[in-house]
Amino acid sequence: MEEKLRILEEEFKADLSQSKTQEELDALKVKYLGRKSKLNDLFSLIPALSREEKSIFGKNLNILKNKISQKLDQSSNSEERQEELIDLTYPAKPMANGYQHILSHVTEQICSVFEGLGFSVVEGGEIEDEWHNFSALNIPAEHPSRDVFDTFYMELKEKDKGKYLLRSHTSPTQIRVMSSLTPPVAVISPGRVYRPDEVDATHSFMFNQVEGFAVDEDINFSHLKGALLHFARSFFASSVNLRFRPHFFPFTEPSAEVDVSCVICGGKKNNSVNQRCSVCKGKGWVEVLGCGMIHPNVLEACGINSRKYKGFAFGMGIERLTMLKYGINDIRLFYDNDQRFLKQFQV
Amino acid sequence: MKFSLNFIKEFLEVKMPAQDLVEALTMSGMEVENLEKSGNDWVFDIEVTSNRYDWLSLLGIAREVAVCLGKKLDIKYPKVVKEPVLLGRKIVIEDSNDCIFYVGRVIRGLNISASPLWLKQRVINCGINSINSVVDVTNYCMLKWGNPLHAFDYDKLKGDIFVRRAKKNEEFIGIDGKERILSKDNLVIADAEKVIALAGVIGAKNSEVDETTKNIFLEAALFLPLSIRRSRRSVGLDTESSYRFERMVNPQYLEFASEQAANLIKELSGGVFFGYKEAGKNPTIKPKRIMINFSSLSDYLGLACSASAVRQILERLGFKTESISKETAVFLAPLFRFDIQREVDIYEEFSRIYGFDKIPSSLPAIKPKVKEPNSYEFKKEVRRLLVSMGLNEAVTFSIESEEELTGLGYENLIKIANPLRKKENVMRPSLCQGLLKTIKYNLNRSQSNVSFFEIANIYTKLKSGFEETSQIGIAYSQGFNDFFFLKGLVNRLLDYFDIVEYEFKPESAKNMSNSLSIVVGGQSIGCLGKIDRQVKKDLGIKEDLFFSQINLQLLMKARGIKKYQPFSNYPAVCRDISIALRKDKKFADVEKIIVKKSKDYFSSLEILDRYQGQDLEKNYQAFTLRIFYQLPERTLTSDEIDSLHLMIRDQLNAQDGIQIR
Ligand SMILES: [Zn+2]
Repeated sequence: MEEKLRILEEEFKADLSQSKTQEELDALKVKYLGRKSKLNDLFSLIPALSREEKSIFGKNLNILKNKISQKLDQSSNSEERQEELIDLTYPAKPMANGYQHILSHVTEQICSVFEGLGFSVVEGGEIEDEWHNFSALNIPAEHPSRDVFDTFYMELKEKDKGKYLLRSHTSPTQIRVMSSLTPPVAVISPGRVYRPDEVDATHSFMFNQVEGFAVDEDINFSHLKGALLHFARSFFASSVNLRFRPHFFPFTEPSAEVDVSCVICGGKKNNSVNQRCSVCKGKGWVEVLGCGMIHPNVLEACGINSRKYKGFAFGMGIERLTMLKYGINDIRLFYDNDQRFLKQFQV
Repeated sequence: MKFSLNFIKEFLEVKMPAQDLVEALTMSGMEVENLEKSGNDWVFDIEVTSNRYDWLSLLGIAREVAVCLGKKLDIKYPKVVKEPVLLGRKIVIEDSNDCIFYVGRVIRGLNISASPLWLKQRVINCGINSINSVVDVTNYCMLKWGNPLHAFDYDKLKGDIFVRRAKKNEEFIGIDGKERILSKDNLVIADAEKVIALAGVIGAKNSEVDETTKNIFLEAALFLPLSIRRSRRSVGLDTESSYRFERMVNPQYLEFASEQAANLIKELSGGVFFGYKEAGKNPTIKPKRIMINFSSLSDYLGLACSASAVRQILERLGFKTESISKETAVFLAPLFRFDIQREVDIYEEFSRIYGFDKIPSSLPAIKPKVKEPNSYEFKKEVRRLLVSMGLNEAVTFSIESEEELTGLGYENLIKIANPLRKKENVMRPSLCQGLLKTIKYNLNRSQSNVSFFEIANIYTKLKSGFEETSQIGIAYSQGFNDFFFLKGLVNRLLDYFDIVEYEFKPESAKNMSNSLSIVVGGQSIGCLGKIDRQVKKDLGIKEDLFFSQINLQLLMKARGIKKYQPFSNYPAVCRDISIALRKDKKFADVEKIIVKKSKDYFSSLEILDRYQGQDLEKNYQAFTLRIFYQLPERTLTSDEIDSLHLMIRDQLNAQDGIQIR
């Protein structure tokens, strides 16, 4: 009997030394400990033994069983055992998430820079009236200053003709906020605007703008410059500079158009036609936005005392900024919504 | 406007290279959009903003150049001769609101030919065609002084000259050869018999000056800007002349322009001055008096501005200093600048010449405001959530085609009065079309797994006015997923915003064959469903499409509050059940019985599989359901679950149309 135990143990040791992989160990477990194992066969002999033999043999059998079981466990955990090698070069599984549109992402980026300065985001409506889109912004009816704003008008009965329109800029929000809140106010307002422009690589009859403005007793032109420089450096790169060119907008005075040093060529001036940068045309600067100190007529139209309060305002095209930052050369790509385009901006 | 550098040199010496001048002018507010070499001349193309009517003259531009270069102008004003007076003809202004002053000079015995080279170059380099030695002179003087002039063939005029409104349906053929029907909106110049010019806009063919003309009547006038604007718009014209009148011409230079033109015409084409006639009164303009406070200016710009620096720059610009102290000053605006009206106009003039680049940059100290929930923040959250569920964000046009939308059964659309194209002429009433077209665009480009959402407004006509509401639109093709994904997605959206009480109610919706309404607090906040076959066919899409639209404002309003809910620490036990359901029965009927009968023990259920096999009775479909039972206060025994589950099986089996398999 004892001999049978010894042979079994020898056999097990020999097998174990041959087993390298987990599969082989698993097979050993079935062979020696399973329901139809040799060990189990030995257990089935016990009932036929004498009482004394039963006790000794039973005890030794259990010792062997524990020994085998322990050895198998040890081998399973031993560092010597070889892990099955996976071919890690198979392709990754695609993640199930979608993609935010680059325009909404850039909008959020712009707003968050100004939120960091203490601005609040307010959204405005797209169907506007003539007063909010023009008159209150110091753009009187039948005045040449209105000519630069091509506008879609809503079809209405004769008496209301020209009264409602699709906002041609986000500035009406300025009027709505300043008319309803008392200063100090600092607001950033993104949204869709519409102009009857034929669609081409740089024009669309619908596009997005962000309007920003701050009104308080001590707001000045220097603040306008500082806020926009902070924005440009946060949005483009900390190395960019701004250039403020005097300009005319009816709703601000002084007014400026703002250029950013070219993010493509680093703002190097180059007049040679062949070598010059295609983005800034060799000028080193690219126009990005319009701004100025809010015209006192505009403050007054909103019921704000222009002797006491001053403000600055700016407006910028989101598509334009996005095209510049990401090197997109056709505005129509934004509205085609080709998934292959959207997927490029994992934002 | 285009101007020539050689023309500018009639007023002052310019040594600065043209490229540097471009930079200097641009940085002081005169944006040079283009610079071109033309022979020994440079042609500048500048943007003239609507406030600077004075830049529509070479004199005005030369002033700006002089300011930039820190130089003085040399202006040679001609001596104005008003004699002899023209006899035999009257000039009659019907309404002095339309025309305040009108001057005519007659020159006789001309020999009109082509212009000399210098004159041709002047007008051509300023963007105007060269015609002949008379017309070119009128254009040259208009360019120089800013006052448009017109020369009539004197022999073709009959009787007195009238400045009057056109009669209804009066006919007019301009020198462009086009016939126009006039109305009361048109101010005209007429003789006793006919209209000879659309005042301030264009001359008539019937009195045009050509090579055979011997005698001319040279007109200079001050027309009301608005009268000219209305008149030229009503006939769809925009000319060099109307462009200037609309933006205001300077009364001071009217006589100079007319006199110099008369002199130049005599010089180049021969002839003698025959007579002068005027009507109305040339207004005397007084300089605008503006007081400014230097500390207010400094506060406005964020720059310490000294009295002397301000004075120096303003005087360079042509302002006169009436009085000045350390604190305040009274300045007189130049007579050629009607746009200077109040202090802020002076702030601008000072700062643009001082240089915006010399004003320091600083950050404003904005008082922080408490962040209130708002639509922008809410949209951001929705966007994140939908992206995390595998949808791509689209941006599609808010303007769609009336014809297409009417075909889909939409009514009462908001129309655009002046659309660019017929296919974009109404405001969209739904986000559906935009998204479906986006799906089609991508399917056509071999993208099979296509899913989109858009957050944008839809527009509704009200009894008075309009309403626009923010909506969330979701659409995808079957290659991405099935209807029940959409249902799960809406569930997730509602759960995310802690909206607890809601239900899906079967309700028909536009464009959809199978659809549910999302009801929160008794109000529908949106819908979801499968796009109708016909709509798909019209679009040319074969795949099944699913669509949902949810009112963002209502969703935002229904938003609940996040709060901790205690959960059971005892294990849930599950039991499976296979059911065959007759097609006239709904899954909801099964669900209702299970929930009702299992009472507090019910935790959740889940479909393991669905099938329609040969072994099923006709009109039946089968599925396997896994029911989870759980109690918050103790572990369930298998005996009690087995008997509960058995009871539920029996209850279901007893129903008509439900078979336990
Ligand atoms: Zn560049």
